[in-house]
Amino acid sequence: MTTNHNGPGPVVWAGIIAVTCLLLFALQKMLWLVVPFLLALVLYYMLRPLVQGLVLRGMGRDGAASAVMLGFLAVVGAGFALMLPRLATQLVDGQSSIERYMKGGINLLERSLRMLETKWALLADAHIAETVVHRLNNLGGDVATHIEPLAMGIAAWMPSLLLAPFLAFFFLRDGQRFKRFLGSAVPNAFFERTLYLLHDVDRTARAYFQGLIELTVLDTVTLAAGLSLMGVPGALALGVICAVLAWIPYVGSILGGLLVVLVAATDFPDTPVMAYWAVTLFIFVRLLDDFVYMPLTIGKSLHMHPLVTVLMIFVGGAVAGVPGLMLVLPVLGVVMVIGATVGQIVTDPRLMARHRHARLLRRQHASLDLN
Amino acid sequence: MVLGLFRPKPVSPRLERLHSLFLFVNLTPAELAIVDGLLHERDYCADEVIFDEGEEGQAIYIVLDGRVSIRREIDGKPMVLAEMEAGAVFGDVALLNNAPRLAQARAAGPCRLAVFFREDFMTLLDTHARIASKISLQIARTLANRLRDVRIAPQTSQHL
Repeated sequence: MTTNHNGPGPVVWAGIIAVTCLLLFALQKMLWLVVPFLLALVLYYMLRPLVQGLVLRGMGRDGAASAVMLGFLAVVGAGFALMLPRLATQLVDGQSSIERYMKGGINLLERSLRMLETKWALLADAHIAETVVHRLNNLGGDVATHIEPLAMGIAAWMPSLLLAPFLAFFFLRDGQRFKRFLGSAVPNAFFERTLYLLHDVDRTARAYFQGLIELTVLDTVTLAAGLSLMGVPGALALGVICAVLAWIPYVGSILGGLLVVLVAATDFPDTPVMAYWAVTLFIFVRLLDDFVYMPLTIGKSLHMHPLVTVLMIFVGGAVAGVPGLMLVLPVLGVVMVIGATVGQIVTDPRLMARHRHARLLRRQHASLDLN
Repeated sequence: MVLGLFRPKPVSPRLERLHSLFLFVNLTPAELAIVDGLLHERDYCADEVIFDEGEEGQAIYIVLDGRVSIRREIDGKPMVLAEMEAGAVFGDVALLNNAPRLAQARAAGPCRLAVFFREDFMTLLDTHARIASKISLQIARTLANRLRDVRIAPQTSQHL
């Protein structure tokens, strides 16, 4: 009668990976809903302790959820209103800024390649600096044409992003009811095991999203401290942007690094060593992130073998591109817990026998006065 | 108006019923509302197994309606060790640790149970330590009563 607590076998694992891939494939088709949903989950796990605190002080759950969400929106609104004048100035000369930073980056690259050409005759013979700069200048000429669709894309995404606080409010208000509703749909024989499953999914998701927030704060602080020590302007803003971009494995880190180098190369055109220092800082932060911060925050939430994590990131990228890279770990974490639990239930003969017995009893009870 | 949100609200019949249960007798209405959000209600048919001996316990059960029998195999023969009436609590050892269930619980007739999941209780210890400590005290009292029963009638206790 004891329960089976072996880990999932190869068949269950194959099922977990197959379901994860299918989900990633399906989710990339409705990113407009998935991204606000993920942001709503981040908000939910951030604000839940405040709601619990208000409930303990005698407030109803509905009122507490409303008060916390209104407070959050007020803080965001106030922050936005304070930053609006500065943001408007940035937007007005946004295009010229982008072109300036692109030009700064190309200048740095040209200078570095010319330096290499003086040391490597092979590179000089191939006119590598001239070729690369010519190609990048041609690409740079099209920057303006890339900005418009990008801006239109952001404008199209804004309404769906507004879904995030709306969803988070309902998660805060009805999360516990939803859990009870799900529990009530489960047969008695599997009920305790399902409760444990729901708890484990909640624990995994909470640890992942809280870990993600902690990781973002740590990355921001480290990068901002390093950049401000180097004297790079807007160190905090750059730190925040790079830390948020790092939510997308690999691609986000490369974009963040590129951004930091472009800013350093443009704002210090006469001291290229600053750009090299920026690259060094970025690599240092990435290493710190992978070997110290990540295991301390997100890593401990998913309890996954590092090899599985890396392989699944590649699989996620292959199946669903950049969205797949971003979604693969949380989706795999949840599917893994569900798969392992369902595997335990269907392979437990005693639980299945109890379920059949209960169904028989209910059938007999229902037809008691009919025979 | 804002202060009105924190004003005590009239206690619903459901919360009054919860308050009458031994486990929650010391909780205030606001604390009961929090615990109520964590409880699950389950209906069982007569003779349906609630949990098995040896199974890993994940929850504590409170009888709301009906009766539950606690059984154990002794010398190869199934023995009824106790019958739980409405208001009684069983499976409480599972709330404290991961120990396997010491006996089987079976519905002695159609019954309705409230289920308090162990992990919800553990979370309560972190988030609402005051509520958790009041419940813990009641569990300790239940265990103390059971110990006293062991001294009086050793053969019929130790069932959970």
